[in-house]
Order: sequence, then C-alpha cells, then structure tokens
Amino acid sequence: MLPVASLLILVPLIFAAVTFFTKTKEQAAGLAFLGSLATLGLTLYAYLNFDSNTAAMQFFESIEWIPLLGAKYSVGIDGVSMPLILLNAIVIPFLILYSWKEEREAPNRFYGLILTMQAAVIGVFVALDFMVFYIFWELTLIPLFFMVNIWGGEKRAHASYKFFIYTHVASLVMLLGIFGLFYASWQQTGVPTFDIRELVGQFQFLGSGLLRNAIFLSIIFGFLAKLPVFPFHSWLPDAYTEAPTAGSVLFILLKIGGYGLFRISLPMLPNTGNPELMITVLGLLGAFSIVYGALVALRQKDLKRMIAYSSLSHMGYVLLGSAGFVALSVSGAMFQQFSHGLIMSIMFMSAGAIQTGTGTRIINNLGGLAKKMPMLAVLMMVGFMASLGLPGLTGFIAEFLVLAFSYVNLPGFVLLALLAIVITAGYHLWAMQRAMFGVYNEKLGDVRDINSLQVFSMAVIALLVIYFGWNPNPVLNMMITNSEAIVSLVAALGV
Amino acid sequence: MENLMFLAPEIAVAATGLIILLIGVFMSPRTKNVLGYLATLGVLAALVLTVRSFGTEATMFSGTVSIDALSQFFKLVFLTVSLIVSLASIKYTENSDHTEEFYTLVLFATLGMMVVASSNDFILLFCAFELASFATYALAGFEKQNPGSLEGAMKYFMIGAVSSALMLFGISFVYGATGTTSIPMIAENISLLAESPIGIVAVVLLIAGFGFKMALVPFHMWAPDAYQGSPSVVSSLLSAGSKKMGFVAAFRVFILALAALQPDWQFAFTILAVVTMTFGNVVAVSQTSVKRMLAYSSLAQAGYIAMAFAVMTPMALTGGIFYTLAHAFMKGGAFIAAAAVVWMITTQRTGDLQVPDHLDNFRGLGKRMPLAALCMTVFVFALAGIPLTSGFMAKVVLFSSAVQAGMTWLAVIAILNSALSLFYYARLVRYMYFLPPEGKKIGLPFPYAAALLLATAGVLVMGLWPEPFLQWAMEAAKVLI
Repeated sequence: MLPVASLLILVPLIFAAVTFFTKTKEQAAGLAFLGSLATLGLTLYAYLNFDSNTAAMQFFESIEWIPLLGAKYSVGIDGVSMPLILLNAIVIPFLILYSWKEEREAPNRFYGLILTMQAAVIGVFVALDFMVFYIFWELTLIPLFFMVNIWGGEKRAHASYKFFIYTHVASLVMLLGIFGLFYASWQQTGVPTFDIRELVGQFQFLGSGLLRNAIFLSIIFGFLAKLPVFPFHSWLPDAYTEAPTAGSVLFILLKIGGYGLFRISLPMLPNTGNPELMITVLGLLGAFSIVYGALVALRQKDLKRMIAYSSLSHMGYVLLGSAGFVALSVSGAMFQQFSHGLIMSIMFMSAGAIQTGTGTRIINNLGGLAKKMPMLAVLMMVGFMASLGLPGLTGFIAEFLVLAFSYVNLPGFVLLALLAIVITAGYHLWAMQRAMFGVYNEKLGDVRDINSLQVFSMAVIALLVIYFGWNPNPVLNMMITNSEAIVSLVAALGV
Repeated sequence: MENLMFLAPEIAVAATGLIILLIGVFMSPRTKNVLGYLATLGVLAALVLTVRSFGTEATMFSGTVSIDALSQFFKLVFLTVSLIVSLASIKYTENSDHTEEFYTLVLFATLGMMVVASSNDFILLFCAFELASFATYALAGFEKQNPGSLEGAMKYFMIGAVSSALMLFGISFVYGATGTTSIPMIAENISLLAESPIGIVAVVLLIAGFGFKMALVPFHMWAPDAYQGSPSVVSSLLSAGSKKMGFVAAFRVFILALAALQPDWQFAFTILAVVTMTFGNVVAVSQTSVKRMLAYSSLAQAGYIAMAFAVMTPMALTGGIFYTLAHAFMKGGAFIAAAAVVWMITTQRTGDLQVPDHLDNFRGLGKRMPLAALCMTVFVFALAGIPLTSGFMAKVVLFSSAVQAGMTWLAVIAILNSALSLFYYARLVRYMYFLPPEGKKIGLPFPYAAALLLATAGVLVMGLWPEPFLQWAMEAAKVLI
C-alpha cells in the first residue's frame, strides 16, 4: 500500500517547487498540469482502496517529530477528508486547463502557487496532529495572499491585506485555543500530545465548563472566520471579487473551515459547558448567514460579488447542518461543502470568462450574451441552476439534507432559512436573465465565446455536478458513516 | 590546579584573536583576507569544542566561573553569531587596512559574551560585560568616514557607559547588603537584601543596567541608531549576539541570585515585555530603512524573550532560551542579507546611496541577487513566526507557556504583536519579489553567500527538527530552576 496521505502532500509540493523554476508559460502550465494529474491519480488510488463502511482512519502514518512536546507527524484519511481531497484533486487540473490560454506576468509563480495551495489544503485535510494541522492551515494563506496581491483586480492590495490579516488573526485565536487544549490535557494525563483525535477525546475530562467553553469557542472562531459565516465574513466579498478567476476558485476549494468543524469542533460540542447554547448560537449564525448572504447577493451590481455573497449563503448551510447535529444533517453539511466546491468553480469560471470576454462584470452593462457566447451560457446555466438548488443537481441534495434533518433539532432556524430559498432562486434567475438573455447589448462590441479548453474544463465539472446530483452515493456514503460516528458520541452521552 | 580544558572554547577564541592581531601587523592589505578565514576557523573550533562539552558541569576559580548547561547553550548562541559574522566580514573587510583590528574586536567581543555566560560572580560578570561592550563600541564606529556610523557608535558608547554605571551601582547595593559578589552566596544570604528597602533599589538599578543591553523599552534609545549606523555585519553581532549577553546575565542575576525578590522583578519584566514588543512592532511598521526596521523588530523580539521572566515556568524559560538561539540565526542572517544589499548598492552606485539600506534598494532583489532575497525571505518569515521556521517553534513554546501559566492575556498580546509584525515583514518580501528591479543581476560574493546559507540552514533545521535544541534549552532552563 502506498503512503498516499503523505504523497498527496509531497507530489504537488515537489511539482510546485519545480514549476517555480520554469521559464516559459507552456512549461509552467504543462508541469503544473502534470503535477495535478499525478495528484488526481493518487487520489483516485486512495478512493478506490477506501472502505466507506468504516469511520476509522485509513492510510494512517505516524512518525515521531518533537517528542518533548508530544508532536508527531501523523496523517490519515477518513470519510470526512476523502471527499474534500477528491474535490481538490478533481478541480485543480481543470482549473489549470481553464487558465491555460490566459496571458499573465510570471506564469511560473502563478502555477507554482496553485500547486502549493493544493498541497497545503490537502495537508490540512490529512493532518492528524495539531502542530501539522496548524502548519498547513497557515501555509494556505501564503499562496492566496500572493494570488490576490499580484494578479488581482484594481483593489487587490486592500483585498489581499484584509483577507490576510483577518484570517491570520482568527487562526491565531484558534492557536491559543489549541494551546489551552494541549496544556489542559497535559495537566490531566501527564503526557504531552498534539494528537488531534486524542486531544478531542480528552476534551470532555478537562477542568471546568468555563475552560472547555473558552477552548471550544477560540478554536471554532478560527473555523468560522475561514468558512466564513456572518458576522466574520467581511473579508470574503473583497477577496473573492478581487482575486483572479483561478484565485477565486482556490478560495472556493479552501474548505478547511468546514472541515475543522467536522473534525474538531463537532466532536467537542456535546462536551462544552453549555452545549445547547452553543448549538443555538451556531444554528442561528448558520441560518442568518443563509438569509443575509442571499439578501445581499440580490442587490449586487457586480456579477462576481453576487457570486461571492451567494457563496456566503451556501456556507450558512454547512454551519446550520452541523449545528443540526443529526447524522443526516451533518452529512448534508459535508455534502454541501463538496457540492459547493464544484458549483462555485463553474460560477467563478463563468464570471471570469464574462469579464475577459466583455471587459465588465456589472450585470446591467451585460445583456443577451447567450447569443454571442452560447457554450458559456449553457455551462453557466448548469452552475446557476445547481447553485439555486434545482432538484437533480448536487446543490439540491445538500440543501435538502441540511434543511430536512436540521428540522429535528432546530425547527425555527430551518423555517428562517426556508425564506432564503425564494430569494436565492430570485437573484440567480434575475442575474442570468439580465446578463445572458434578452436583447444583446451592442455596446459590448464583438464578443467571442470561451475557448475549447475552457469549455472542456467547465463541462467536466458541470457533468460531475449532474452525476453527483443523480447519484451522490459515491461520496455521500462515507460522509454518512462518519457523521454517524460523530453523532453517536452524543447519543452515548445522552445530550 | 584548575582543569583549563573546561575553558577550551574561550581559550580558542582568545588565542585566535591575539594571533590575528599579531600577524596582521606584518601583512599587506591584499593578503589580510586570510585573517577572516583564520577567525572563522578559530570560532568554528570553539563552536565544536562547546558542542562537545555539552553535559559537563564544573565550577572553577573559587566558584567564579560556572560551566553548566546554561553557559554552554549561550556560548553556542554567541559562537554561532560570531561564526556568521566573521564569515560575512571576509567580504566586508576586503582591502581594508584595519582587518586585523576588526577581527580581533569581533573575537574579543565574543570572548566577553562567552565569559558573561559562565560568570558566577558579579565582578567577573561586570568585567566580561565591559570587555564585550568596549569591543562592540569600537566596532560600531568602525567606518570612520561615515557620520551615521560615528553617531551610532557615540550614542551607543555614552548610553552604554551610563548603563554600566547603573549596573555597577546596583551591584554595589547587592554587595553592601549581602557582603558578597558571588551569585550562589548572594542567593544564600538574600534575606538580608530582601528584607531591606535596598532590595528594590538594587533590582531597579540592575534592571536598568541589563535593560540597556537587552534594549528593552524605555532603555532602547541607542539601539535603532546604533544598529542602523553600524556596519551591517556589526549590527548583526550587536543584535544577534551582544543583546543575548544581556539576557544570559539577567537570567543568572535575577533568577539565580535574586530569586527572593521574584515578585518585584517579575512584575517589572512583565510590563517591560509588553511595552517593548508593542513599541518595537508599531514603530517598525513605518520604517523605510531596512536596518532600522530590523532594529525595531529586534526590540520586539527582545520583548518576546523577556516574556520568559514574566512567566517564569520551566516551559517559559526553555522557550526563552530556545528563542535566543533561534533569534541569533534569523536576525543575524537578516542583517547579513542587508549587508549584502548595502554592498551591492555601494559598488554598483545605483539606487539610494544616501541610505544604502533603504527599502527602495530592495526592489526586485529576487531578480538581482536571488540567493540573498531567498534567504532574507526565510529570515523575515521566521521572525514573523511562519511555520516550519525556528521562529515559529520558538513562539509556539514561549507563547504557549504563557497560556499554561494562566497568563492568557500576555499570550494574546504577544500573538497580536506577531500578527502585526507580519505586515512589515511581508512588505519587504513584496519589495524583493514583486516590484521591478532597478539594476542588473549581480553575483553574490562567496562570504556573504556562505554566511547566509549557514544562517538559513540554522533557521530551517531548528524549525523542522527542533527536538535536540529544545532538549538543550530545557537542560539550560533546569540550571535556573
């Protein structure tokens, strides 16, 4: 058996390092594409050898690192991380294909950063030691910062610094929480360890309810700011909008906030001092983000900004489903992460194509683009329909699971979130109608359709959206297995 | 008869210094380049001897010299810095008339710092302190034609002299109350001091005296001028080396000798740590001279290390001691990288010649001197505490120890400071990599390249495999508690 978990970090990292030294754009893109294909191959190998019927850690590796502090290099894959690794591995090669023909400065750095990002994100997903987890967590910041800062739009400096400082501070708060957990558990057991599963297991035995609340809240703060949900979202619209298309997609693939919820926060939740209060607050934030994101998206003039807010709204489902705390609502939240990654990739690619094609993203300045860009219109339609939750596409399954099963514990918030469904449908259709249909806006001049590589890469992702919409089982099964394991902890405690 | 083998590293350094001084007189400026290699070799030999002596414990010369894990660890720090500095200075002193003086001063300064690390007696401590200080005063003013260098040296000398006087005054109070200058004896008779008001006076004077060397706010005024004005290789020695001398002296004096007065100095150090790190970071943000920025960042780093006194748990002391070595590599290296840029600007005669270390001169360094830019990036990221570098490990241990001791608020302040520091470090990286270069590509001279690679290796090894260094730091901390 290959040490897949380590290879999934190493392969993109090595390819990234080599890509930084390439001279021409063809070399850079080609090498990055090869690297991402190798990663995809490894991921498929892991997926095919993966057992969806157990919640146990698979492909587990562990090496002593700093025995003095109990830090180990330990990695592994389970049903929480597998779908997200799959998502990353699938989208990145097509992202590289999508941006193949774009002209830009320093392509070697551009493609190198994409692969670095992939390695860092997968690193977070496979890490089973808080030290390793935090290192990769912070490493994800660097490529994204430069992505926005170098190749971003007009307000890139503002957006990149805001994103960086905002999420960096949140991560530091999380680090404090990790320290608290580490030392409290050290005091309890007499043995230092940074092992995530062990510390999460120790959490229930720690001192006072107040201490447990403080640890829980400071750790989850890092996740919520990264997810993000209201009111920690203010970096999101700027960063998503100012980033180049590839950068926006990388932001979308940055599913580490939600992953942290499932891996660390949810198993801790029942053992906090006031679990019911925590669930109420998280559910409220989730439901409110759904409605707030949709309302704000409704009145955006800029297409990309609208998509950014719709992303905020979708992330609300992840939090609401997690707070719902039933196996199927948590699975819905996990599936929402997976589906959102695919759908938003199409949406940001469409918005990017419109901007390069027409030179504007202001919805009212567009119009009738479907006549000039028929391929884009079809693919974009799939993305938008999936995003608004049309049955038969992935978005529907995720949102249905979240809403239907969160109702068990949080009926009020689900009713609140239901309000947003109408608005969500409204702004998607309205934006489509104004931008793509109707009379062609002659001021735009002669606009060409997206190139064949772009069609190909968007079409593959669109097909996956349809495929997983009809048959979610390949990823949903393992999610359900793991959600049941997470939730069974609660049942055992009788909360 | 004392076994002088315990002092082999000191003897190696002193002998090298004297030999260089002697044979330098008979050499022509062209051949004096050899002296740099000789000094490097001497320091390297001392370094090897120090590492081999790890684990030995002895007291010598009627208990005035103590060889223990703490002294050996700090000797490692000083020799590392000295190694990096001597290596880089080979290029700096090229074709200079005063090569032998330069190296002799560097080696004597190192010797002074090493003896401070071992001092178990106030008199020896003071003499060694002065040996190191006088050597560095002269080094700071080494560029006799450069007004900035002279101004910095003058300021450094005057304030240094005052601080020595304060320190001596504080020592006299301790001696007056306890009747001894030996650190273990003072610890035994500390009740004599602790029960009288003289105790507070002595603590205040000693904090002021050591505070100058450690450059804690408000005793820091000399540091930015001296670090900016001095030749960059000397700034490296001052910031990475002689500052640590203040720390090791303070560790010995406060924790070993004045343990009974802990509540008093612990409170003072808590405030000094918070003020120093915050002031350093806030002021560093607006600097346009890179060396001055590094000087303020050096203040901030001293503030972090001073947290060890504020928290005072074994973990915190381990973290603080580990931090000194981590800082030696990263700050020492960063000043060497600045030295390489200053060299580039002055030999190419392009860019801002008035302030050769101006931020603008770092534009496009990634294209002009790729290796220097890469190493500088590693150093500043390490200073900011980015994972996989020595700075991250040091901060993890030190900051987390504050959480352990229940001083979460201190950890929060330190962490926010670190987040703030990232701003000006990232700006430097942006200048180096994302702004267009203002000149052609230049080969990095071998001495600079070697020193930079050495420091980079140190930063990365301590970040990736900190276990042995943490182990040593923990042994050193055990001496104190």
